[in-house]
Amino acid sequence: MNNDLFTGQLVRLAAINPEADAAWFARWDRDTEYIRLLDGAPFRLITVKKVKEEIEKEIEENAANACLFVVRTLADDRLIGFVELEGIRWPQGDTFVGIGLGDRDDWGKGYGTDAMKIVLRYAFTELNLQRVSLDVFGYNERALRSYQKAGFVIEGRQRQLLLRNGQRFDCIYMGVLRNEWLAMNNFQ
Amino acid sequence: MITVQHTRNTLKSKGKLNMRADLFRGALVHLAARNPDTDAEAVARWERDSEFHRLAHNDPAYPILAKTAKQWLEEESPNGFRFAIRTLADDRLIGTIGLWVSSWTNGEAWAGISIGERDYWGNGYGTDAMKIILRYGFTELNLYRVSLDALASNARAVRAYEKAGFVVEGYTRGAAKYDGQHGDEIYMGILREEWAKTTA
Repeated sequence: MNNDLFTGQLVRLAAINPEADAAWFARWDRDTEYIRLLDGAPFRLITVKKVKEEIEKEIEENAANACLFVVRTLADDRLIGFVELEGIRWPQGDTFVGIGLGDRDDWGKGYGTDAMKIVLRYAFTELNLQRVSLDVFGYNERALRSYQKAGFVIEGRQRQLLLRNGQRFDCIYMGVLRNEWLAMNNFQ
Repeated sequence: MITVQHTRNTLKSKGKLNMRADLFRGALVHLAARNPDTDAEAVARWERDSEFHRLAHNDPAYPILAKTAKQWLEEESPNGFRFAIRTLADDRLIGTIGLWVSSWTNGEAWAGISIGERDYWGNGYGTDAMKIILRYGFTELNLYRVSLDALASNARAVRAYEKAGFVVEGYTRGAAKYDGQHGDEIYMGILREEWAKTTA
């Protein structure tokens, strides 16, 4: 059993390389389904150069309260997505987590769940946080199931927050507490 | 008018938060925002006092302009929590104090304090300010320990830190040299549970 903090069963978390990785992010961002699963903001298209600048800006501005990783497969070291702890409130020990897998061929195969498990282990055993929070859109059932597998429970919802193609959906809030995670993973 | 209550050094709030407690108020002083426009002149004046400088810093004493002091006061960092110290009696600026969180994951911060106005040395003002910032560190930042270092020969400061609850943890021998004399740096610290036992 590999005890590297950044390695899971299927994927590993790696440093983001704005220079090399921006083209992938820009490509994924052209997939409207991906964007609608990921983000509530209106869809927009930006150049690879601009994506690179935004990644660099994100890293620089949020250095003190965010940790951004890319997700790579263990099998062939392919870049398949990102996971980010952001908005860490250090005194409270809380962080928000966001995750996205860009290529549809990689969806539903356990990569996201594995990446989330790695980042939870990092949040609880390396950053010593007390809880991890996320929100997920009501129509993203695959993500909801994945988060539950990683240990998150539903804590609340903003009813009918989202309007997509004329239909309203809830935004669901989930969280996992340190003690819950420790118990699940057989820590003392 | 709302009566402001002084918070006691307790880590438990019995399910209720005392919203009237003024975290920034002590017995003699209060902590205030650092104001680059109004405070720079005083900070520069203190720095021209070489004895102050030797007690507050371990780099060579060097006079600075108010313009430089203003730049110091404008500096912000996400892990620095810095305040001006003002008297309760007449709201006079007498010094500065800050916590620098060196590790959020371990819950550790370093404290630094300097009282620039000599009239306020040795009268409990610094001790009072340190007590306020410890309360801030333990109840607002939720730290586990606060560290500091000082010149071992600065007996007035060491006494004040002990009164605020710090204990001596070690020395770096010969780390400071002034007037041809080698002196020790003293390291002090206070843990969360120790702080909770001190009285407000």
